[in-house]
Amino acid sequence: MKRIIIDREKCDGCLNCNIACISAHEEGSNFYTVNLQSPDAETRNFIKFDAGKGYLPIFCRHCDEPECVLSCMSGALEKDPVSGHVQYDENKCAACYMCVMNCPFGVLKPDKKTRTKVIKCDFCDDKPDGPSCVKACPKQAIVVKEVNL
Amino acid sequence: MKIVIIGASAAGISAAKTINVSEPETEVVIISREDSVHSRCMLHKFLGHQRDAKGISFIADDFFETAGITWLNNTTVISLDPDKKTVTTHDNQTISYDKLLIATGAGYFIPPIPGLRESKNVYGFRDLIDAKLLDRECQTAKNAVVIGAGLVGMDAAVALLERGLNVTVIEMTKDVMSLQLDHQAAAAYQKLFKEAGAEFILEDKVVSVDVNDVGRGTTIHLASGKAVPADVIVIAAGVRPAFNFTQGSGIKTNQAILVGDDLKTNIDDIYAAGDVTGIAGIWPNAMKQGRIAAINMLGEKLLYEDRYALKNTVNFYGLTTLSLGNINPEPEENCEIFIREDRHNYQKVVLKNGIVQGVIMQGDIGGTGFWQYLIKNKIDVSDKNKDVFGLSFADFYDLDQQTGEYKYAV
Repeated sequence: MKRIIIDREKCDGCLNCNIACISAHEEGSNFYTVNLQSPDAETRNFIKFDAGKGYLPIFCRHCDEPECVLSCMSGALEKDPVSGHVQYDENKCAACYMCVMNCPFGVLKPDKKTRTKVIKCDFCDDKPDGPSCVKACPKQAIVVKEVNL
Repeated sequence: MKIVIIGASAAGISAAKTINVSEPETEVVIISREDSVHSRCMLHKFLGHQRDAKGISFIADDFFETAGITWLNNTTVISLDPDKKTVTTHDNQTISYDKLLIATGAGYFIPPIPGLRESKNVYGFRDLIDAKLLDRECQTAKNAVVIGAGLVGMDAAVALLERGLNVTVIEMTKDVMSLQLDHQAAAAYQKLFKEAGAEFILEDKVVSVDVNDVGRGTTIHLASGKAVPADVIVIAAGVRPAFNFTQGSGIKTNQAILVGDDLKTNIDDIYAAGDVTGIAGIWPNAMKQGRIAAINMLGEKLLYEDRYALKNTVNFYGLTTLSLGNINPEPEENCEIFIREDRHNYQKVVLKNGIVQGVIMQGDIGGTGFWQYLIKNKIDVSDKNKDVFGLSFADFYDLDQQTGEYKYAV
């Protein structure tokens, strides 16, 4: 499967990945027009800073054994057998947030505005040119690679 | 090989899925009492008329056909014979198996209170059958009484309020959802439920129920002397693992079916998973047990080690809470308690000797999944030398260079 591989040493903490993610999920917007103040503006990836270690990118791994899928009681989260990506169906989701509780890396979150859905990486719907965060990274700290399971 | 699974909820379906992916040529038969597969965690959406029966399913419409699984629905297993390796159903079918998985879950419990068990209008809130019966009552009932303010009772209450009934919740302890919340976190929910029209009678208990001449409970009498009128009564006072049909089979039980870490019972080729094992009555654990039991039935040897069960999330009226571990420690436990609050959040962390014992995060619960990992793996956080509320996975950040997956550096 394709996974966003992280080289944290290269990350400068510019947060272009955050903006690209928000923009990719705000229809018709681009880097210049994206409304970061919108209540819908939610990033699916995070950069944490640690005084000792520097910048630490936290991105959904679409895990081989996804705890979020195992915890999902509505069938909204499923691991796609072909792409290997963990897909989310907002219409099935009942917003119980067991997945938020079960993600060991703290990647998942409820949506801020309505608390009726989960904000989760969708790998930009497997677009041929790859996820928007990867395209936006000026340092190639995140790159898409094929990994064997 | 032929695997028979009794029960079509989290554990049973998770096992069937696992078998179907790993060894699709294995013959699988699922036997279930009901004629639908549904998530009991969404029953309140059905009763509240936000979703229909199909809307609370957690599998694809064509799951059984696509997976080539035989599904015997509306079928109850009444006995099993481990020597002949067969199970017998209520309609006298004898079904043979090579491996058997018992995933029959748990059933609700009606306390032996005079009048309560006899009343025809007393319902549990456990299966779609219960929700359908309640749905019918809701068409005429005005006053609903929910006995028990745990998560299930509150789920029932939210749906009954949605249907416009007068709802009274009766609870023995001094707070709602007392297993998951502390006083302050519980009060926030109680306020929201009151605004939606609910009444609460706390620290009181039901002593008797008046039954009228057609067998319906009409008035609920409490220890305090209060009397509450009821057209419909929901009982949410706990569940018991459901394994009556194993009587005489030699399967060892002790209020639940006893299993080893491989989820096998004391009898070869018979496994159990989910609520019926009494290990952890929560959806994610049942799913994981179903998966591990399935892998073991296929001949591997995987152990179930994720026994941590003191965890839950709550989401009512848009107020979300994560609750983990020991959140109401006794003074003699000598725990340190940290509290942080603002207008939208109430957060509590219980620490002992640098190990997180319990957490309540009410309000914003985004990104809080790492807490469970810290608690269940008893990870010492005292060397992080920072505000406990500032912890995140970043403090334990490590990557597997080959797979690109995260791991904990501890």
